[in-house]
Amino acid sequence: MSERDVTQKILAALADYLKRDRATIRPDHHLRHDLGLDSMAVIELLYKIEEAFDIQIPDQDLVGLSTVASVATYVEQRLSPGKRSRSGKRDRPVKGKKK
Amino acid sequence: MRGQIVVTGLGVISPIGIGVSEFWKAALDGRSGVSAIAGFDPFPMDGYRSKVAAQIHGFSPERYLDNVQAERVDRYAQFALVAAKEALADSGLQLANENARRVGVIVGAGMGGMVMGEREITQLYQSLRPHRVHPNFIPVITLNSASGIVAMAHGAKGPNYTISTACSSSAHALGQAMQCIREGRADVVITVGADASITPLVFAGFCSLRALSTKYNEQPERASRPFDRLRDGFVMGEGAGALVLESSAHAKKRKARIYAEVAGYAATSEAYHMVIPREDGEEIAATMRLAMADAGITPGQIDYINAHATSTSIGDAVETKAIRQVFRSRAEKIAISATKSLVGHTLGAAGAIGGIATVLAIHTGQIHPTANYEDPDPACALRGITASVQERKVRAALLNAFGFGSNNAAVVIKRYVA
Repeated sequence: MSERDVTQKILAALADYLKRDRATIRPDHHLRHDLGLDSMAVIELLYKIEEAFDIQIPDQDLVGLSTVASVATYVEQRLSPGKRSRSGKRDRPVKGKKK
Repeated sequence: MRGQIVVTGLGVISPIGIGVSEFWKAALDGRSGVSAIAGFDPFPMDGYRSKVAAQIHGFSPERYLDNVQAERVDRYAQFALVAAKEALADSGLQLANENARRVGVIVGAGMGGMVMGEREITQLYQSLRPHRVHPNFIPVITLNSASGIVAMAHGAKGPNYTISTACSSSAHALGQAMQCIREGRADVVITVGADASITPLVFAGFCSLRALSTKYNEQPERASRPFDRLRDGFVMGEGAGALVLESSAHAKKRKARIYAEVAGYAATSEAYHMVIPREDGEEIAATMRLAMADAGITPGQIDYINAHATSTSIGDAVETKAIRQVFRSRAEKIAISATKSLVGHTLGAAGAIGGIATVLAIHTGQIHPTANYEDPDPACALRGITASVQERKVRAALLNAFGFGSNNAAVVIKRYVA
């Protein structure tokens, strides 16, 4: 499965979860800041993604999964473990908002 | 003047010891009761993200209980029976000499009879034979089975109920017991917190919630580390704590030893989120203030806080923020400890076990260490949190407990002065 296909599948899962039009969700959207997912909602979303792609996402990996694109990249790497990361360093954590 | 409500008996069954003296010795040693889960036969542990828990190993109820009814209740209620029995013996109360209607039982339990619950549900779905569901299934899983069996075991005919507010259940039980006596509805309340739900389904549920520690599966004793920078979730525990509360008049009349006074209580809701606390800490701060107001004391009189501190990233930081809001510069001078660093998160038992640690801190002048507090997280760093025993005369203490369902409780326990 290409990263594009993965992204499309994740966008579909997100649109379904958020009950909103898929066309309004972009890969650069931040799960928390743009899409309004709190940490529990992110966990619920990842639960759906685990099922959709038949993978298990360890707790330690959650910290890097902040945008739609970062989730897609992560899932794509997990599906083809030989590939190296293209996203480089990890993004802002989903729980964020540390004062 | 309003009558005082005092603690005259303690009982505990915990992952670091059965009985108060064993528990307290291990607590002062800072010993972790967390170990690797041997397995959920027939489930392999591979499927679980977390593989550690604070379990009570080798518990056989008949060793502690002669009552035949003990065999007919679930593990959590057996724990409640063991703790209540010890607390009553410790109090010196002779229930045969008491007016039974003036002796109540209030229990806090978060999950209840999950051992039998899971087993029966599994068997029903596998066998499709409804007539083979155990006849005792309903009485066992009903959440007030512990408050019922404790009353039956001791002939306590006064107010009897169970409070279920997840992780704050038995802090509320303590507060409700205090109010019950304060309002004159009972002279004595046997107050218990109990839970035993380290079961295949419940444990899987907490794993799925991503609430549990998963980084220390190979080093279980390091997994529960409240306020530490490297904490990564709570560790499930199991156990029970019991405290005998009575009016000071009743206690004095029978010349009882008094450990401490339960002086104030607050119950609030954040009305915010099922599992996430408000990040500004204001609701927790408000709860602590209300409890102190109920006790008629000021923040300047608090010397110790038994923190809720479950070892989750957000929870410990929010509680610290709330403590700083309420106590300002004094926040650095208050001794703080996390009982969950020793016994894990015992859910419905947590308030009672933390309450016992608080009572003993007041009574002995020793505050147990917070285990694994090695690298203070700047978001939680307060000078009063230490990995070693603190010797301190405690005039008054706060017991914090927060539960899923946006639920907060705080109880003020103080040195008894006649």
